[in-house]
Amino acid sequence: MYLLEVKNLKKVYTTRFGGNAVKALNNVSFTVDEGEMIAIMGESGSGKTTLLNMIAALDKPTGGEVYLNGKNITVIGDKEISSFRRENLGFVFQDFNLLDTFSIQDNIFLPLVLAGTPYEEMNKRLTSVAKRLRITDLLSKYPYEVSGGEKQRTAVARALITHPKLILADEPTGSLDSRSSDELLKLFNEINNDGQTILMVTHSVKAASHAKKVLFIKDGEVFHRIYKGDCTNEEMYQKISDTLTLIATGGVRNE
Amino acid sequence: MSKTFFYLKLAVNNLKKNSKAYVPYIITCIGTIIMFYNMCFLASAKTLGLISDDGSLKMILTFGTVVIGIFSAIFLFYTNSFLVKKRKKEFGLFNILGMEKKHIAKIMFWETVLTGAISLSAGLAGGILLSKAMILLLFKIIAIRVTFGFEVPTLAVVITPVLFGAIFAINFIYNSLTVRLSKPVELLKGGNVGEKEPKTKLFQGIVGLLSLSAGYYIALFTESPLQALTLFFIAVILVMIGTYCLFTSGSIAVLKLLRKNKNYYYKPKNFISVSSMIYRMKRNAAGLANICILSTAVIVMLSSTVSLYIGVEDVLRTRYPRDITVGSSFISDENVEKMNKIIEDTTDSLGIERRNVLNYRYLTVVAFQEDSRFQLQGDSLRFKDSAALFFMDIDGYNKMYNANKTLEENEVLLYEYRGRLPGDSMTIEDLQLRIKERVPAFEGDGNTSAMMINSFYLVARKDDLQKIIRVSDPDNTKGKDLAYFYGFDVNADKQTQIQLATEIRKGLKELGISYYADGADLSRESFYTLYGGLFYLGIFLGLLFIMATDLINNYKQIAEGYDDKERYEIMQKVGMSREEVRKSINSQVIKVFFLPLLAAVIHIAFAFKVITKLLEIFNLTNVPLFALCTLSTILIFSVFYVAVYTLTAKTYYKIVKG
Ligand SMILES: Nc1ncnc2c1ncn2[C@@H]1O[C@H](COP(=O)(O)OP(=O)(O)OP(=O)(O)O)[C@@H](O)[C@H]1O
Ligand SMILES: [Mg+2]
Repeated sequence: MYLLEVKNLKKVYTTRFGGNAVKALNNVSFTVDEGEMIAIMGESGSGKTTLLNMIAALDKPTGGEVYLNGKNITVIGDKEISSFRRENLGFVFQDFNLLDTFSIQDNIFLPLVLAGTPYEEMNKRLTSVAKRLRITDLLSKYPYEVSGGEKQRTAVARALITHPKLILADEPTGSLDSRSSDELLKLFNEINNDGQTILMVTHSVKAASHAKKVLFIKDGEVFHRIYKGDCTNEEMYQKISDTLTLIATGGVRNE
Repeated sequence: MSKTFFYLKLAVNNLKKNSKAYVPYIITCIGTIIMFYNMCFLASAKTLGLISDDGSLKMILTFGTVVIGIFSAIFLFYTNSFLVKKRKKEFGLFNILGMEKKHIAKIMFWETVLTGAISLSAGLAGGILLSKAMILLLFKIIAIRVTFGFEVPTLAVVITPVLFGAIFAINFIYNSLTVRLSKPVELLKGGNVGEKEPKTKLFQGIVGLLSLSAGYYIALFTESPLQALTLFFIAVILVMIGTYCLFTSGSIAVLKLLRKNKNYYYKPKNFISVSSMIYRMKRNAAGLANICILSTAVIVMLSSTVSLYIGVEDVLRTRYPRDITVGSSFISDENVEKMNKIIEDTTDSLGIERRNVLNYRYLTVVAFQEDSRFQLQGDSLRFKDSAALFFMDIDGYNKMYNANKTLEENEVLLYEYRGRLPGDSMTIEDLQLRIKERVPAFEGDGNTSAMMINSFYLVARKDDLQKIIRVSDPDNTKGKDLAYFYGFDVNADKQTQIQLATEIRKGLKELGISYYADGADLSRESFYTLYGGLFYLGIFLGLLFIMATDLINNYKQIAEGYDDKERYEIMQKVGMSREEVRKSINSQVIKVFFLPLLAAVIHIAFAFKVITKLLEIFNLTNVPLFALCTLSTILIFSVFYVAVYTLTAKTYYKIVKG
């Protein structure tokens, strides 16, 4: 059984005043095994965030199914879905989604508190996560007092702290300098080696080259897939760059 | 010229663009102006003189106008500062995109002029209309013989624009200083800085606690009604200060303490609510304090005026124990007989039956009281220390109550009508009297009850009364005579009663002594005029304040809705279900909404005693009646409050859900 299985996923955004409907996703299918690290790439507006939102059940698809651990999450009711999300998914949002009314520490605690975790346990987990993400000194600050990259690391910490089955990360290195993004990727690799499944949207070829599988999305469809296999990071890097060039020049579809 | 036009146009555009924020703001301004105008109208309306010719009513209303004025200034300043914070980012962008701060100030100036002009003209027009509409409406509801005229007092029309013009000017100065003194970066971040964690203001909290306690202390420990009149205003101001300080800083301090308690704070329910409440309180504290004060005012006003109106018969009874009251303040035994005969002959000749006849000899002494010592000349000439001693002879008392009490020489029976007389003996000058027994209430003459000073009713032997005359009237101005009271009820219409009183007066004139003869019905009318007028006033102000409360609440909910929307979306994304979000919003909104009502009820509880003292000035001593009126007013007000809550909560949820 796959940890995640996406079947013929469709999403059409209809604008309110009868404007043009946007086909954001069209028949997307793929699978993720437990312990895999997968990267999703594609041009801006190609539907990546939409895809992640469907997988996290933050939005209802127009068609198709998403199975997490064999459970179809597109049909779970509203009541169940939030606890399901809390227990199984860690989401790193593209726009962070931190609450200004909470300190950095409390923002990270939020999902644990909602799950009713005792304070000692939360604190223990926080210490290790904060150290790994180098935000220990920021914990008592508020989101409007820290930099964009620091916000991003906070968002990552909030996703990691629940030890979720699947981490969904939307451009987690988008606001980071190369040193910080290297560190984050190293961290992702480490936890991935410990068995953590990660699904990551990224524009960075370097970030993608760490993944075991890379999906390319164009105009809402899976345009191409690359498997790392036994390649080194460098070889993978080359493969990805080639594919991107191919897409940019409108190359032949190769599935 | 064209430059001015350019800025004016920009200002108009800005207001249009920010209409979501400005429409509620302008409505709030208009509502506040309407309220202030109406208060001013009441305080300066000439026809008000018809209700009561003494100055106390006018004083209360003027005081009320000042309070509402201060309240308006604080409230509008607060609302404005909230608004300008929201717009900092916009001004920052103007600044960065090449507009000088000087020019931004010009735009702001025109914005202020526009909002001010709209608010003032609509507010004044609305105020004048409302004052008339309310009068018409109230006249329909309670057919009181007196009505305020349809006047538009010049004073009110002048003061209102002056005050609000000043408030708008101050707001403009504040706004342009905010922009001038901040760097563009700060302006850009302005909206978020608004979310900055509020500081705990220890000093403010302590000031609040102290003034609230002082206010409560005065309210609880003021004994004499006269003192109550002067101290009440001080207490009101103190409680107002206390309410403001505690709502703004005390609430945040408490919440922060809760946050420090890790085991409490990190529970799912408390986690969200405590942290959100800190911000909610920061944004709303001033508004909530206003609501609390207004609610208190409404309840106090309605309950006291209503109980006065309902209790007017009671009051009349105290003031005029019988339908017809006749008497003399000093009269010889011989003349008492003649007086009795004149009264009885006159009533008989008119064919009227005398019922509930009440007659007795008495003596009133006004002296300075120090515990149980009474002195004719006090060290201090303070009015509040004076007391009225009303002595009745034992025979009259026994006859009146079918009792057969006996007294030894220098013994008295005591009833404390108003004030305290401790111990079991008392002295008047150097005459010592033993208090044999404290008796339940008995009817004294109405004149004593009309005085606001401490009053004691005593019963003594006739020979002792002579002694008391000697010590209390050493100059012998009263010819060593006691006073006399003769009262009875009649079963006759008003006309006959008036005729009877006039006839008796005619007869007594021939005796050549000082006397009085009154019919209660004559006075009833003037009593109803006064108390009816107060009732009227109470309802007028009550409705006015309820509308103001409503307005503030509405504004608050709408402003808050837009703020909370985003936050709750994020919470749902990180794992709260819609149901949990709804519950959390609900509990917070309810807390914020009902906190002011709760505080108002606590204020009322503390004020209860001092208000009963104040009502004594108006001769209302029926405490159970007042308690009942207070309770029912609180109940009715709460119903209103809940109704407003349901309405505004609906608007709020609509906004939050998007
Ligand atoms: N709520 C929405 N309503 C209507 N259209 C939407 C909505 N959200 C996204 N879209 C449209 O759907 C398409 C896919 O958007 P999506 O956010 O998934 O892109 P993306 O691949 O994440 O882009 P980027 O790399 O810039 O983040 C875009 O054309 C976008 O305009
Ligand atoms: Mg995206």
